[in-house]
Formats: sequence, C-alpha cells, structure tokens
Amino acid sequence: MEWIRMLLSRCWTLFAKQKHEDELDEELRAHIDHAVEENLESGMTADAARTKALREFGGFTQTKEDYRMQRGLPLLETLAKDLRFGVRQLVKSPAFALTAILTLALGIGATTAIFTVVKAVLMAPLPYKDPGRIVAVWTANAAQGGQPLPSSAGDFAIWKQRSGVFEDLAPSYDDERTLTGQGSPQFLIGYSVSANYLRILGVAPQLGRLFTDQEDSPKSPKVALLSDHLWRTAFHSDAGIVNKAITLDGVAYTVLGVMPRGFDYPTSVEIWMPSAMAPSAQDDFDHTYVRVLGRLRAGVTLAQAQKTLNDVEAQVAAAHPQTDNGNRVVLVPLREQLDGDIRMPLLILMGAVGLVLLIACANTAGLALARNAERQKEIAVRLALGATRRRLLLQFVTESMLLAAIGGAGGILLALAGTHFLLRLFPNNVANLNIPKVTRIPMDPGVLVFAFAVTLLTAFLFGIAPVLKGMRTEASAAMKESSRGSTTTRSSNRSRSAVVVSEIALSLMLMTGAGLVVASFQRVVNADLGFQPDHLLSLQLFLPPDRYPSTDPTKRRQFVEAVERRLNALPGVKSVGTTNFLPLSGFWGTSSFLLRGQTPPKSGQAPEADNRIITPGYLRAMEIPLLRGRNFSDADRADGLQVAMINQTMAREYFKGKDAVGEALNLGTPDKPDWWQIVGVTGDVKAFGQDQPTHADIYRPFDQLPFPLVAFTLRTETDSASMVKVAEEAMWSVDPNLPVLKATPMDLLASQTLAVRRASSALFAAFAVLALLLACIGIYGVMAHAVAQRRQEIGVRMALGAGRGQVLRMMMGLGVRLTLLGIAIGLTGAFALTRLMASLLFEVSAMNPLIFSCAPFVLIAVAMTASYLPARRAASIDPMQALRTE
Amino acid sequence: MGNDKSDVLQGTLDLMVLKTLEAMGPLHGYGIARRIEQVSGNSLSLNQGTIYPALLRLEQRGWVKSAWGVSESNRRAKFYSLSPRGLKQIREETENWERIAATMSRFLAPSN
Repeated sequence: MEWIRMLLSRCWTLFAKQKHEDELDEELRAHIDHAVEENLESGMTADAARTKALREFGGFTQTKEDYRMQRGLPLLETLAKDLRFGVRQLVKSPAFALTAILTLALGIGATTAIFTVVKAVLMAPLPYKDPGRIVAVWTANAAQGGQPLPSSAGDFAIWKQRSGVFEDLAPSYDDERTLTGQGSPQFLIGYSVSANYLRILGVAPQLGRLFTDQEDSPKSPKVALLSDHLWRTAFHSDAGIVNKAITLDGVAYTVLGVMPRGFDYPTSVEIWMPSAMAPSAQDDFDHTYVRVLGRLRAGVTLAQAQKTLNDVEAQVAAAHPQTDNGNRVVLVPLREQLDGDIRMPLLILMGAVGLVLLIACANTAGLALARNAERQKEIAVRLALGATRRRLLLQFVTESMLLAAIGGAGGILLALAGTHFLLRLFPNNVANLNIPKVTRIPMDPGVLVFAFAVTLLTAFLFGIAPVLKGMRTEASAAMKESSRGSTTTRSSNRSRSAVVVSEIALSLMLMTGAGLVVASFQRVVNADLGFQPDHLLSLQLFLPPDRYPSTDPTKRRQFVEAVERRLNALPGVKSVGTTNFLPLSGFWGTSSFLLRGQTPPKSGQAPEADNRIITPGYLRAMEIPLLRGRNFSDADRADGLQVAMINQTMAREYFKGKDAVGEALNLGTPDKPDWWQIVGVTGDVKAFGQDQPTHADIYRPFDQLPFPLVAFTLRTETDSASMVKVAEEAMWSVDPNLPVLKATPMDLLASQTLAVRRASSALFAAFAVLALLLACIGIYGVMAHAVAQRRQEIGVRMALGAGRGQVLRMMMGLGVRLTLLGIAIGLTGAFALTRLMASLLFEVSAMNPLIFSCAPFVLIAVAMTASYLPARRAASIDPMQALRTE
Repeated sequence: MGNDKSDVLQGTLDLMVLKTLEAMGPLHGYGIARRIEQVSGNSLSLNQGTIYPALLRLEQRGWVKSAWGVSESNRRAKFYSLSPRGLKQIREETENWERIAATMSRFLAPSN
C-alpha cells in the first residue's frame, strides 16, 4: 500500500504550497551556510568559500525543480498550469473563443434536443410483448385514394384462415359509449376487441382479469375493462371495482378489470369490451369497420407477410371475379402505427439537424485550421527550446478540452431548453392528428453520451490533429516558413477552401429545405378552410341510445330543435346550426352512392361520399357558401321529399359540366334504391385539415335523418371561447343529463390542426438561420485568416504597383470562387434531398424554382458580406508596414 | 573534467542515505552529503543538491522522518532520522545489493 501513502503525501502538499516552498528555501540555505562555514574554517577567503559551496551543491534551481516534481503531483500541477494558460489564451482572443464556444453550443444543443425527442418518441421501448412482431393490418383501395382503411369482417376471416403468416390475428372496432350513474354522464371513447386482441398485445390488467374467448360472444353477459384514467377519475380508484356493475348506454356491464397505467392503445380509449362478432359476420364484405391487429409468426418478415396476404387476396379475387374490388392489404408495424403522423417530420428534422451539426463541425475545423496555422510557429519555437512533444500535446489538448467543455455544457443547457420547446410537436387532444401522447421528454443518458462524444471529437479536431501536424514538420522548417511570410502552403489552402465550400453547400441544402417547408406552411395557413373559424364555437355531444333510441327519432329532433332555439336566444349569438361530423374533429363517416342510370358497380366499388347531416341554419353559422340551388329549410321535414346538397368537389367529379341540381342520388342499393333529390351545391370544406384533400360531401337534413352524434355550431359576436359556459348551460336546460364531449372554439381547433406543421417549419427555419449564421461566421473566420497570412504577399503586390481595388478584387475573387463551387455542390445535394421531404410539403413542389433560385442568392449575399470585411482589410494594408514587420 | 569519479548509480543513493542515518543517527542534509563524500573517499561525483529530492522520496515512503532542530554550529536545520520501516528496508536493500555485487564481481573476475 506504499503507493497510497505516496499519493496521499503528494496530494497533501498540494495544499499549503507556500509553506513547503519556504521550508525548502530555508533547508537549502542552511545547507549552503554549513558548507561556507566549513570552508572558512579550512582557511578559504569568504568569496572562495561561497563559490566552492555552491559548486559542490550543483544547480540550485535544478534541485528545487526536482524537489518540487518529487513533492507534488506533477501531472495535476501541469494540468492546472495549462488550464490557466488556456484560459489566458482564450481571453486574449475572445472573438475566437466566443465563436468556437457558440458554434459548439448551438451545434450540440440543436442536435441533442432533436435526438432526445427522437429517442424518447420513436425509440422508446413499447410496453407490449415482443412488439417487433405486432402489426396492424389495413385495407387499401386505389379507387379510394390508397389510404390504409379498416377492413370487412369477411376479409378478416379469410386472412385468419388462409394466410398462415400470423401466430394470431384479432379484430376490433370503435365503439363509443355513454357512462351514467357515476356523477354527470360521460361520453367514453370505447373499443371493442376480441379476447385474443389483448393477448396479442401481451398486456395484463392491474386489477381483475381479461375476458375469455367464451365471454367474447354475442350471447354472453356484458363485460368491460376500464382504463387506468377512467378508473381513477370516474371511480375514484375503487380497489373493489372488479365484478361491480356499471351502466353503459343504459345497459349493465360487469367490470372485469382495470388496465395498467401506461396502456394507451389505441390512443385515448377509456373502455374495452368484447367484440362479440357474430359468425354470420364472416360473410360480410360490404361493411368496412374492422381494425385488425396481428402477431407475426416467429421468423416471418414484414415483407413476406405482406406478399403472402396479397397473394391470398389475389386468389380470392380470381375465384370471385364478380365481387373483386381491387383491395390491397397493408401491414403497418405497431411502432409506426403508434408514431403516426409525427414519424416523418421527426425523421426529416433529424436529417436537418444532422446538417447543422455537420456545418458546426466544418466551422470548428475551419477555426482550428486558422488557429493552428497561427500556432505552428509557436509550436516550432517551443520544440526548438526543448519542450517535449508529450508536454506540448498535453497543453494543446487541455486548451481544446476547455473550449469543448464550455461549448458542450452550453449545448446541453440549450438542449434542455430545446426539448421543452419540442413538446409543442405533441399537442394533446387534437383528435384529427394521429400522434402519440407525449407529455414530457426526459433527458436520455444515451443522448448525453452522444453529446459528450461529439464534444470529445471536437476537442480532438481542435487540439490534437494540428499538434501532430506541427510535430511532423521539422522545427526549423516551420520557423522558416512562417518567417518567410509568403503565400500560404498549398495543403493549408486546400483544407481552408474545403471548409468554405462544404459550409456553403450544406447551408444551401438546409436553406432550400427550410424554404420549401416554410412556403408550404404559409400556404397551409392561408389555405381556405371553406368556413370561417373565427368567432365560431362548437359543442359536440353524443345522444345515448338508451334515452334517444333510433326507434324514436322524434326525441332526437325535438332535442336539437329546442337546443337551437335556446342557443339562438342567447345574447351575443348571431346564428346557430347543427351537424353530425364537425369539420376538423376527427369524426367522419361515409356512404356509397349511385347516380340515376348508372350501371351498378361491383360490391365495394361504388363511389363513396362523406355523410354530412345538418340543420337549415348550419351553412349560415359556418359561413359555408351556397353556390347553386337552395339551402334546406324548415319545410324539409321527415315526411317530405328526401333532399340533399352536395359540395363542389362532388359536383365536379360526378356531374362534370352538368348542373347537379335536380339530379338524384341513390343512397341505397341497386335492388333497394333510396333516392335523395339534389337541391343545392355548397362550397368545399376542408374537413380533415387545411393540408388535406377535400372529399366528396353529401349534405342531408337532420330532420330526415336524425343522427345520434350532434355538434352545435354558434356564430358569436365576441370571442367564442367566452361563450362556452352559457352555451353549455343553455344545452343542459333542455337535457341536464347529457355530457358535452368537447366545447371548442373552431379557430383554436384550426390552429391545433397545424401544430406539428407549425413547430416543424419553425424548427426548420431556425435550423436554416442557424446554418446561415454558422456559415457566415465560418467564412469570415477563414477569409480573415487568409488575409492575415497573406499580409506580406499583399504588401509586395502593392509595393509593385497593385492598386487597392485590385487587391480587394483578388481577395473577393477567392471568396466568390469558393462560394460558387459550394453553391453548385449544394444545389445538387438539395435536388437529391428535398425529394425526401415530400410529406412535409403542401402545394409546393420539391423543386420549387423560386426557392431554388432565391436561396443561392441569399447565400451569395451572406458569403460576400462575410468576405468583404477581410478583403477590405487586405486592401487597406500599408505595404511599407506589412513588409517591415516580422 | 577528468573521469576519475563515478556517477552515483540509480537507487544506490537511497541506500547510502539510509546507511548513513543508521550509522550516525539524526543528521541534517549537509551532514549526510558530507558523510557520503567522506565515506566514499571523494570518489563519487555527487551534486550535494541531489540528496534533497532523495530525502523527500524516502520520507514519502515512510523510511525516514524529519524534524526541525538546531545544528552544532547553532543553525536551524532540518534533521532526518531512520524510521523502524527504514531499518527493515536497509536489511532488504543490503541483501539485494550484495547479491548484485557478488554476481557482478563474478562476471568481472579475470577469466583464465
């Protein structure tokens, strides 16, 4: 344990340093005094005695230095010395230090923030059994836009029997319920699943049990599973909830269990019930409502399963050509299913931030180049004076670690603030966006390690590489080169040019990308929704079937009519209307239709349009224009002629040039027609968001088709948010037991719809500005350094008669050449990369000529400014002074 | 400089210092240096200063102790003395040294 004693003793002396120094001095002085005294005694003169004593002692300073080395911790002391020296160096050149630290902090900060989000959202472990093998199975039909949609029970049955690629396959479907008997009635997002559905996910309830296959049948007693949220809020975390009865839509259900807290699939579901599919459903190929979840057999890849399923579809189609509807099967891995609409924006942002990091690296490399070119001479001198290479390396590494540490720390602070901002990518309660619920983004150790690695790499770039270079060159050569002060060496020229060119190329790619995204956002924001969302309040509710049964439509009619009357009477309300599926709410439903005289298409091939059921006041309240014909009136009653309006898209697609008014739609089947007379054509409404295509819409009067999902819309005189309470009270004065699903100002809903787009375009723009800033700093630094290095050369040129204008042109010319080369490379990269961003773009081509021609000009302007200042400095060099110095 | 003096072999200085302290009792740095010169018959080229880092090293290892005292000529000086661990170290080092010396002399003996 001797080394411990040694270390402790050495550490101890790090403190009370001065005392030890004084003691050493005194001890050595006593030594000399003793020697002098002895020499005097032997008869020497005072001078000779002293000289002999000192000679025999050897080097006084050398002894002290050796003693100090033995005493303390030389490595630590050197480090402290280097640190102090490093801080002095940085303080001496604050512009360099600040630039380097800012570059590092911004680069590391932005990258870490985005990577943290990507890790937290796209890579977080899923709380399901072997989630890599779980897939959602959808049906896509080219005739209906190729979107993944729910399937028919018949298709599901065929896949389950024939495909052979699934270990298990389970059906499910949306099933909204109203809970009563627990305080005020509550509308619940419900989900009906088969018993094996929950087994595929591999979740166990926190209380009670899942339902069995026997309970998953139409004839068994009603059972339900609660979400953790519902259990906590509506049932006050009642530990004895299992086996108690609750009332859903007026029917008694037995609670079997409570699902665990993190279980949120599909998102926002509050209650799960058995799907109880009747055996007869196997023959139903017409109703597409089944959402299928499967677990792939071990060893079966996604691509194999995809191919097998489509082969099965093809066989079925070949066997039954008359019912073939051209469906394809689409498998979506659970992970992608959960990430939904956030996946692409995040991945694209990650690419963008990667470019920012590259620019930061180029900047750092440029700074290091300039900095170390200056220091080659210092290295040479110190080597010549006998400094060891190890010692020099240590000092330079210390200096760069200092920079990297400050920059890295700044970056991590920025990242912490940044992840907070990035939470805006995940607005909660936006029904029509399919994004995961994210309420907090924890800092991830892995990402911190990543940031740390970047910092270390930077330190290496800054510190070690140039010293190694300095060491290779012979000390004398380096000194000669710099003292000659002529044009710079070719290799340093080349690396410098590479830095400028790559910075310009990378910035250009980011700028075009950002330009496209921001231009898209502008278009989306300015896109006409087809209705006026300002001063418009919506009140969504669901009429529970126990009190508003479909067998008694009059009750529904009376309710809506009474509420509209009360709402209309409220002060500050200009007009009131009612619809079933509120635009932007995420609720929607379709009907297939046939035109008069049309040959009946194959089953499932009939054109479809969205169902919109409205009261006569709806168009006015929403400010949806009526383009032709007439609006519904109070005369369009249940017992009158069945009337309908269609939107412009439908009129254009299905009636071409003809006037649709006066035509009729068959909303039944060819055998059992259900005719509706078209009386008007309305303007288009963007019901799924500003950036989504408009569907064909069929409007029908509520009175002729009383639908249980109801959304009242109120055009208000003042801010619609302030009207929520009075509107709800007016509604409850008609029926105090109805839960309000959502009361939302429509402008808020419209704005929330754009949340992801807004945040991602803001981020993209921020990255582009950051890139531009970094590039500007980088180009300035490199050019300024070029001018400094070529001082003598410029002096000679000017002494030989070059004018200031010529020098300015020469230096600017260098900047221009590098900029143009960078732009050429950048444009090529941008052409290749922007194509990948198609999903973020809206009505802007990935090759938008305006953006592709503007971005280079912005960059040229920036590069010119950044190189003008150094060039002007070059032109103002006094030739005599430049030649005389050094 | 004539080369009639030997450089001090690495590691031997420590043993010389320890041995001196064993023989003379507590002694200050100058005294130790002089004693080594005298014993070696001035045949060693020793910078007296080098014994101070050596003394510090021995003290750090716990083989010698130091304390301030007053010398024979009435000067304040730091006195070094052997610790029990130092005594043990002398035994080990002596054996070690004798083994090396014996080996070396066998190598250096005139061959027949």
